[in-house]
Amino acid sequence: MFKKIGIPRALLYYDYYPLWHTFFENVGAEIVLSDRTNNKILNDGVKYCINEACLPVKLFHGHIVNLIGKADCLFVPRMKSVARNEYICPKFTGLPDMIRSSVPNLPPIIDCEVNLRKSNAQLKEAFFEAGSFFTEDKARIWTAAQIAMEANDRYRKQVEGGRLPAQILENRQVPDNDGLRIAVIGHIYNLYDDYINRGLLGKLYENGARVFTPELIQGGIVDGNAAKLDKKVFWSFARRLMGAAMHFAEQKNVDGVIYLMSFGCGIDSFIAELCERRLRRQTDIPFYLIVLDEHSGEAGINTRLEAFIDMLKWRKRNDSDLSAHG
Amino acid sequence: MNSCYLGIDVGSVSTNFVLLDDNGIVLKKLYLRTQGEPIRILKEGLTEIRDFIGDRYSIAASGTTGSGRQLASLIVGADIVKNEITAHAVAALAVRPDTRTILEIGGQDSKIIIIRDGMVYDFAMNTVCAAGTGSFLDRQAARLNIPIEKFGGYALKSSNPVRIAGRCAVFAESDMIHKQQTGQCLEDIINGLCEALVRNYLNNLAKGKAIESPILFQGGVAANVGIVSAFERELKEKIIVPENYDVMGAVGAAILAREETEKKGYTIFHGFDIIKSKYEAVSFQCSHCSNCCEVVELLADSQVVARWGDRCGRWSNAKEQKRAAG
Repeated sequence: MFKKIGIPRALLYYDYYPLWHTFFENVGAEIVLSDRTNNKILNDGVKYCINEACLPVKLFHGHIVNLIGKADCLFVPRMKSVARNEYICPKFTGLPDMIRSSVPNLPPIIDCEVNLRKSNAQLKEAFFEAGSFFTEDKARIWTAAQIAMEANDRYRKQVEGGRLPAQILENRQVPDNDGLRIAVIGHIYNLYDDYINRGLLGKLYENGARVFTPELIQGGIVDGNAAKLDKKVFWSFARRLMGAAMHFAEQKNVDGVIYLMSFGCGIDSFIAELCERRLRRQTDIPFYLIVLDEHSGEAGINTRLEAFIDMLKWRKRNDSDLSAHG
Repeated sequence: MNSCYLGIDVGSVSTNFVLLDDNGIVLKKLYLRTQGEPIRILKEGLTEIRDFIGDRYSIAASGTTGSGRQLASLIVGADIVKNEITAHAVAALAVRPDTRTILEIGGQDSKIIIIRDGMVYDFAMNTVCAAGTGSFLDRQAARLNIPIEKFGGYALKSSNPVRIAGRCAVFAESDMIHKQQTGQCLEDIINGLCEALVRNYLNNLAKGKAIESPILFQGGVAANVGIVSAFERELKEKIIVPENYDVMGAVGAAILAREETEKKGYTIFHGFDIIKSKYEAVSFQCSHCSNCCEVVELLADSQVVARWGDRCGRWSNAKEQKRAAG
């Protein structure tokens, strides 16, 4: 039996931490979360991960290294599918194998498989497998699973009610701005990890903007919009981004859209393009694609962001005041 | 004494100064190589500007732009610090109010700015790759032993351009060497390079954007007649190279600075005495957390003027508090 479980503060952490935390707590585990992404985590990630992976996967490796020596075991579930007839990025499926083959001196890894492509029933197996490392009491595991699912539902409702995952999980302060309305579309681990995106959301807030992310849109609206595509996008997270972009395109309720993509992301390479085309064909809303990589200089992202905000302000003021240059 | 307005564009390759008079006419322009020493070049430029204006003019506003805009603004006391996109757009519109497209190729950046109804409608900047920017042409000119000023002239003499792969500067170079080894003439290779650069620019940056006339071509590379002609052949439109194409960023900064001071009623320009001060930028690694930020400190006569580069703000804010208190 294990006592302490290490959970990396990376990738799907931003989607499922309330579920994982509640479950492990209720089977009697003590949870150790890796530190917030920092320079050392990035360096370790780049050092241990295979070179071809995207930056978020490299960072995940860094978070694993950060947990070594702090916990009896590490939680790296083998995530294959989180919804019926849908998949997620194949790198998530292979994550436990990548970690095992790349990072030395690892404690045991709990890599229960999550595959809900055919039905949700498989989730039960995943819970029992993960719980069995901490207790033999099956009833206790099942109760913990129920409480965890409820916590997950509450978390979703909170987010859909307008609170960003970073606000709930990381205590991020979000100012009550009423300036430009800017939608930021991207994978959760790019949107809410301040290190990886060079504090993008903070920079938008400083400019008085209100920020809208795909997570804030109700699941039903995302589904409805994504269903309008000629062919189903079968990657769950890509579908969320696409559905969100289509929602903004239809409602025309934002002044600008920023797509945040990590260099080397296979899914984003064409979902970003699809979102851009959809927005440009249906609307006049400015769109900008920001590609994140290991660059540590902020000048590039600052210049682009400043120029984008200037453009939005210029457009807004143009009707009444012709001389404004932002 | 008449008023004039100073604009400074600190770029990766060149640092440009412009003085505008009350009618927006360029009184003086300077195009200096940055040579990796922005502070020294800034002082050199300011000395030349001071000697030029003597007691005929007084500086009523100053503005900075370019990747070194923050540093320059702290040294000269800039009324406005603007990104290059906005600065270039403002300058282009001052020359041709009906401008619809701006092509800008500088030392390490290339940009396309789409203007509609006299304001920035859309823009793009090169992402991860600097192929096809000025520094690449510089390097190739040096390798071929041709002064960069004459580079474009060679291209015009070509009768049969060879195809060079322009996707990547490294590949382009090996492709050029290969073409040289097989005995192709220099003029054709240089013309091939110009065409590759234009093709790359249009495929990467201008992808999906409507390039409509009037088209202005700005930035140092606009001096290259080979590139101008390759653009005209590819776009089948006339390319306008404005008189002050090489310093348009600085022109924009001067115009914006003037607007800003007219709004607030005074300038914070430090005056020319700063030339006598000894400016020094020193950097150190903060060891307070595992981010290990590289903090830069700007010293004027051994006094800290500003600090930046820290993610958490403990250094830059400390400075600001000191400034507010003192």
